[in-house]
Amino acid sequence: MLQSIYLFNILLPVFYFLVFIIYGYDFYQENKTVNNSKRIILFITLLLHTFFLVSRTIEYNHPPITNKFEIFSIISFSIGFSYFVLELLTDIRGTGTFIIFFSFLFQIISSLFVEHTYIVPEVLRNRLLGLHVISALLGYSGITISAVYGLLYLLLYKNLKSNKFGLIFNRLPNLEILEKLSFYSAVIGFVLLTFAIVIGIIWLPSAFPEFSYYDPKLIGTFIVWLIYGIGIVNKFLEKLYGRKVILYSLFGFIVAIMSLIITNTLAKTFHSFY
Amino acid sequence: MNLVGISINHNTSPLELREAVHLSRSDIVEFIPLLKKKYFSEGVVISTCNRTEIFGFPESSGLDPEPLMEVLMEFKSGADIKPQHIKRYFSCGAVKHLFAVASGIDSLIIGDSQILGQVKEAFEISEDLNFAGSVLRRIFDTATRVGKRAIKETTIGEGAVTVSYAAVQVVEKIFANLERKSALIIGAGETGELAAVHLHDKGIGKIAISNRSVDRAEKLAGKVHGEIVPFQLLGEHLHNYDIIISATSAEKLIVTFENVSSAMKKRRGSPVVLMDIAVPRDIDPEVKKIDNVFYHDMDSLKIIVGQNVQKRKDQIPLVEKIIMEELIGFFGWYNTLDVVPTIKTMRSFFEEIRKDELEKIRNKVSDEDYVKIEDMTRRMIGRLLHNPTVKLREFAETGANINDVTTNTMILKELFNLDHPSDNGDDTGSKINCKEELDKK
Repeated sequence: MLQSIYLFNILLPVFYFLVFIIYGYDFYQENKTVNNSKRIILFITLLLHTFFLVSRTIEYNHPPITNKFEIFSIISFSIGFSYFVLELLTDIRGTGTFIIFFSFLFQIISSLFVEHTYIVPEVLRNRLLGLHVISALLGYSGITISAVYGLLYLLLYKNLKSNKFGLIFNRLPNLEILEKLSFYSAVIGFVLLTFAIVIGIIWLPSAFPEFSYYDPKLIGTFIVWLIYGIGIVNKFLEKLYGRKVILYSLFGFIVAIMSLIITNTLAKTFHSFY
Repeated sequence: MNLVGISINHNTSPLELREAVHLSRSDIVEFIPLLKKKYFSEGVVISTCNRTEIFGFPESSGLDPEPLMEVLMEFKSGADIKPQHIKRYFSCGAVKHLFAVASGIDSLIIGDSQILGQVKEAFEISEDLNFAGSVLRRIFDTATRVGKRAIKETTIGEGAVTVSYAAVQVVEKIFANLERKSALIIGAGETGELAAVHLHDKGIGKIAISNRSVDRAEKLAGKVHGEIVPFQLLGEHLHNYDIIISATSAEKLIVTFENVSSAMKKRRGSPVVLMDIAVPRDIDPEVKKIDNVFYHDMDSLKIIVGQNVQKRKDQIPLVEKIIMEELIGFFGWYNTLDVVPTIKTMRSFFEEIRKDELEKIRNKVSDEDYVKIEDMTRRMIGRLLHNPTVKLREFAETGANINDVTTNTMILKELFNLDHPSDNGDDTGSKINCKEELDKK
C-alpha cells in the first residue's frame, strides 16, 4: 500500500494539472470533444484522490489531517469535489479552469512537502475530529469557490460596463448564473461550516481540558459564520442584489482568510496541533 | 450537364433593381409556365428580398442564357435589367453556386438561416407545377444537405449579426432567464420592431411598447402580445422593466440620467439593461456610471456584430469544403447515369447471344443436359461480365478518371456494337469531373 501512496502522491498533482489544462483549453477553444471528456477526467482524478486519502488513513491509522500538508491535500480534494458537484447540479462547464487551479496549487504543495509519518498525537486519531476538520475544510472550500465566482462576476460586470466583448464576454456564463453559482457555493460552505461548528461545540470541551469559548479560532470562525449567515438571510429576503451580493461574499471571504491567518500565526489557541 | 443559372443578387445589382425583379410565390407560379414555354424543360426560381435566381435545363442543347434574361425582362417589364446586373452560371458552376446559396455563404448576411428554407420552398413550387425532373431533384436534395451540414458541422450561422439581435445577445449575458424578465421597447419603427420580435422569440416574460404614435405602438404590441406604456409617462414606468430598448428617431434625449437614477432607487439596485439603438441617441450615456445599469449604444453593439461577422467569415473555407465534398458525390452519381444503360445493354447483348446459342442445341441434347448447359452458360456470362461491370461502376461513382470512363464506355460500345439512347434527357452525353473543371477556373 505504501508504494501506491507514494505513487499517487506524485500522480495527483499531474492529474490536477491535466484537468486544469483541459478545462483551460476548452475555455479558450470551445472544443466539443474536450467539453464532454473533461468532466470524466475530473471524476477519475477525484476517484484517485479519494483512494489516496483512504489509503493514507488506513496505512497510517489516522485521518489525513495531522499536518498542514495533509490538510492541503484535503483542501485540494474539497475544492475539486465541491466544483464537481456544482457542475453536475448546474451543468455549467465553462468555469472549471478557474477553480481547479486551486486544487492543483494545494495538491502540488502537499505532494512536495508532506511527511509520511505514523507517529501523531493521540487526539488527532479521533474520528470525530476527522469529521470536524473535513466538514470545516469543505465549508471553507465552498466559500473559496464562492469567492472565485464572485471575482468572475466582477470581471464580466466590468467588461460589460466598459463595452469589452472579448473572451470573458464570450465564454463566461451570464451575470445571473455567476451570481447564483457564487451564492449556492456560499450556502453549501455555510451549511458545512455550521456542521463543523456543531461537532466542535459538542466534542471539543470533552477532548481538550483547556477549551475556552473565547478561543481566537472559535471567535474568528463564528464571525465568518455570522457574516455569511446574515448575507444568506438578506439574499433570501431579496434585500441584496447582483453586485452587492458578490461584494458582500468577497468581504466574507477576506474576513475568513484574515481570521485563518491571524489565528494560525499570531493568536495563541488550544486549537493548534502542529 | 447543360444546367444554366442566372443570379441577380446583392453583389451584382442595387437594392432598387433587386426589389423590382423580386418574384413573390404567386409571381413564380405565373412565371414558370412562361419559362416552360420559351426556354426550359425544367427549372427552379428562387426569389428573396436580396436575390432572384433561376436555374434550369434549356430545351435546346445550347447554354446561352440570353433568352432566359429576355423572358425575365418580359415578365418584369418595369425592371431595368442590364447585362452587368446578372451573373451567369453553367453546368458545374451552376450546381456549385446553388450549393453556396443554400449554405448561406453567398448571402448578404453570411450564414443567413432563412435561405435554406427558401431554396427548399422554391423547389417544391417547381415540383408542384411538374417543372422538376429527377436530376434537378437530386441537385436540390444535395443542396439541402449542404445547407444542413453547414449548420451542423460549422458555426456559420452562430452569433448575432444584426444590431437588434446583438442587443438581445448582450441581454442574455446579463440575465439567465428571460421568462422572468420584463422589457420596454421605446419606438415602434423597424429597429424597435425587430428587437421586440427577437425578445418575444426568446420568450421574454412581459413586453411593453411605448411610441409617440399610439396606433403604431398598438400594432406592434399586438404582434408581440405586449402592453402599451403612454409615451408621455415613460419616466414614471421605467423602474418596472429589466430591459429597456430605445429606437426612436427623436432629436433629443428621451431617457435622462435623472429618470434612470430615480428608477434604480425604486428598483433597490436590481440590474437593468438599457440599449440605445437610435441615431441620434435616445438615452443619456452618463447613465452607465450608475451601479447595476448596463448601458449599450450603437457603437458598442456594432463591435459585437463586427466580431460575429468575422467569425462567420472564418467558417467559409469549412463550408466550401462541404460544398466540394457534396459536388464530388453528386457528380459521381450523375456520371453513372450514362454508364448504367451501357452496362444494361452490354449484359442484354451477352444474354441474347447465350439464349440464341442455347436455342441452337435445344433439340440436340436431353432435357437434363440442357438444364445443366443453361446453368453453366449463365454462370459463365456472369463471371465474364463481372469485372467490366464493377470497374465501370467504380470509375463513374468515384468521379475520378472521367476520361477513362468515357474511353472505356466508347470502346465497349464499339467492340460489341452496342448502342442505346441516353435515358437522361438533360444530358449532353459528356462525363463531368467537377473538381477539375472548377480548379481550371
